[in-house]
Amino acid sequence: MSHPQIAIFARLADGNAAPVRAIAGQKTLLTRSTHGIAYDHIRDVFMVPNFYAQAIQVFRGDADGEVAPLRIIQGPLTRLHNPDKLMLDVVNNEILIPQRDHVLVFDGNAEGNVAPKRVLGPRPGLGALVVDADPIHDLLVVAGAGGGYTGRFQIFDRTASGNVEPKWVIAGPNTQLQRFMGPIAVQPTRGLIVAGIRTNEELGGPDNFVGVWNLFARGDAPPIYRIGGPNVLLEQVRGITLNPKHKELIVTDKRINGVMTYYFPEIF
Amino acid sequence: MTTRIPIDSRKARVVALAAVLIVAAGIVWLRYVPLGEMQANAIRAGRRPTGAPQLVSVHTIPGWAEGEMCEWVPASAGSSLVSMFTEPQAQGVPARRVPAPPAPTPEEVAAVNGRAPVRMIKDHYPSYSAVAVDLKNDEVIMTDESTFSILTYERTTNTPPSAAFSEPKRKIFGHNTWIEYQCGVYVDQATGDIYAVNNDTVDRLVVFSRNAKGDVPPDRIIHTPHTTYGIAVDEPHQELFLTVQEAAAVTVYRKHAAEDEPPIRLLQGEKTLLADPHGIAVDSTRDLLFVSNFGAATEKDSAIIDPRGQGYFGAVDKPNWPLARNAAIPGSGKFLPPSITVYPRDAEGDVAPVRRIEGPRTQLNWPTALTVDPKRGEIFVANDTGDSVLVFDVTADGDVPPKRVIKGPRSMIKSPTGVFYDWEHDELWVANFGNHTATVYPATASGDAAPLRVVRSAPLNTGTPNIGNAYAPAYDSKRDQILVPN
Repeated sequence: MSHPQIAIFARLADGNAAPVRAIAGQKTLLTRSTHGIAYDHIRDVFMVPNFYAQAIQVFRGDADGEVAPLRIIQGPLTRLHNPDKLMLDVVNNEILIPQRDHVLVFDGNAEGNVAPKRVLGPRPGLGALVVDADPIHDLLVVAGAGGGYTGRFQIFDRTASGNVEPKWVIAGPNTQLQRFMGPIAVQPTRGLIVAGIRTNEELGGPDNFVGVWNLFARGDAPPIYRIGGPNVLLEQVRGITLNPKHKELIVTDKRINGVMTYYFPEIF
Repeated sequence: MTTRIPIDSRKARVVALAAVLIVAAGIVWLRYVPLGEMQANAIRAGRRPTGAPQLVSVHTIPGWAEGEMCEWVPASAGSSLVSMFTEPQAQGVPARRVPAPPAPTPEEVAAVNGRAPVRMIKDHYPSYSAVAVDLKNDEVIMTDESTFSILTYERTTNTPPSAAFSEPKRKIFGHNTWIEYQCGVYVDQATGDIYAVNNDTVDRLVVFSRNAKGDVPPDRIIHTPHTTYGIAVDEPHQELFLTVQEAAAVTVYRKHAAEDEPPIRLLQGEKTLLADPHGIAVDSTRDLLFVSNFGAATEKDSAIIDPRGQGYFGAVDKPNWPLARNAAIPGSGKFLPPSITVYPRDAEGDVAPVRRIEGPRTQLNWPTALTVDPKRGEIFVANDTGDSVLVFDVTADGDVPPKRVIKGPRSMIKSPTGVFYDWEHDELWVANFGNHTATVYPATASGDAAPLRVVRSAPLNTGTPNIGNAYAPAYDSKRDQILVPN
């Protein structure tokens, strides 16, 4: 798309609302294809991966306009390989970067050319596309490809490293897991995983949905809830995030080219 | 032999576990309770914020005495402590520390399934991203990345301030068209054919005949590398040039290439200084090729491609196909200054530019589309976040200031991502992604020049979310805001 930016909208923004602030421009060092973002409410910063420059950029929480990042993680020691997604474990102050057969874990305060503090993998077939941590149960959920266009959740100890087996796996036709595009979210106080599921159509399809799974289910367990599909608004889901304060689910969709907010008290 | 633990020691362990529980609860509370509420509580308690979790208070855990607690295993606690309070867990089967949610009824599931969003941020009006004029038919063609269309207007359209917007003469849109995030457009002046480049989502360059409208399939498709952006055509040599952002490359096709036909030339490599290339223009009279670069890049090595893979991550069996993420060297990413790099028109392989416009005096700030006025020997730059159009001599080199800048509130230039020089009417067109307009100026305009004409696609002062293929939302609980990167 033509104009890279991080747009920041009021929670109640609707329709053609303009962002209340936007971060864009040469000094920001942003590029297009920012497919991950995480906000740290304790340290009041947010961070994004930079796919093209193999970097993680950290901005002040109130950043606005053409501002430089507070700090950048970049360099040969980082092992960053076109990072596409990023999640943040705020409780343990760790940055999680999935990179297919491994997951890099950086200290939340890392800066410059630093090595990850921990690496899950490399593990053949890990297929890590997106991840999230559950700080209550000390778990790491790795969402990724399970072969073809099927998806799966692999659940590891939060601090797992090296080539270790997942503690358990949620996968199979009843799970309805297909392609993960954007961030997922673990809702640890209810033991749930929330994820957007994209079907295989290139432009968009009628059966995209956001599903909610029991984190502690194993095997071929169906979702507890689905929002969307077939033919219920969503066309090609990208990512989701949760707003526990207002019991809301926020969803992005490529084909709708918009950001939807759902009131979803059942999962909080 | 059984070891008996003294009662005092057991009490001490219970107290220790309770302390662990309270600290853990505090950490969880810190994450999920709004910060404003926490700060208010802290102020009431006379505590000072330290930026780190603190022990807030000590309370009896509800249900502890009655034995109603959920099964709880401190995953990070020592095994002896765990074994005091729990039955041995089956390997790999953790216990919940929180109650399992009750299973919803079928009615509840159905209600959730069809639930409508309470709000949706979306631009319901076209946002012009690229522009080209059909001189033979006196029409102007714009791509639109908000509602996914290609729009054709009369070239002389001028939306009155009192009008809500101007209606296009023709609109191409819908699933059959493969139009989505079309960021570049070229019009064949002989035939009126419209070429439109997809940036990030479907890897197809689509070609429509001039009169196409509605949800029609393209007359021709070229399957391109991922993340193409700019398009230029060298008519004398019948060649079509595309920039490729991810690969930091320029691929050159036969103008009439179709389907899976490979590029005929590739410009890529460290020496080229291509770095997140965007706009591209060919000066056929001087045999020069101009490329604008945002500046992000990685080093690539064909030796690390996994030949077993396909597509993005594996080998692509086509000549002149650029190396991309599949060949990127981990940790080699870098940021370069924005630039306009200049090459011989037929440059190929890993060759250095013959000139480079780069440096603080250039005012380059996310230089996006390019267009050339061959008669005056000038190149126009859509300077996205500069909210300006920069004009340089085609011979400019190094850290040089633009010879003219169009910028300011009267100019209406806002996040320009498309430019087109109309050599018949000596006019410059600008697609302003940031305010639902395309604006037209005399080619020699400078400063805060008011446009000659304005084509507007939305009511005046309509908000512009500028959302494009947003992948990842985040919620800022401190400010009650939603963060949305493109």
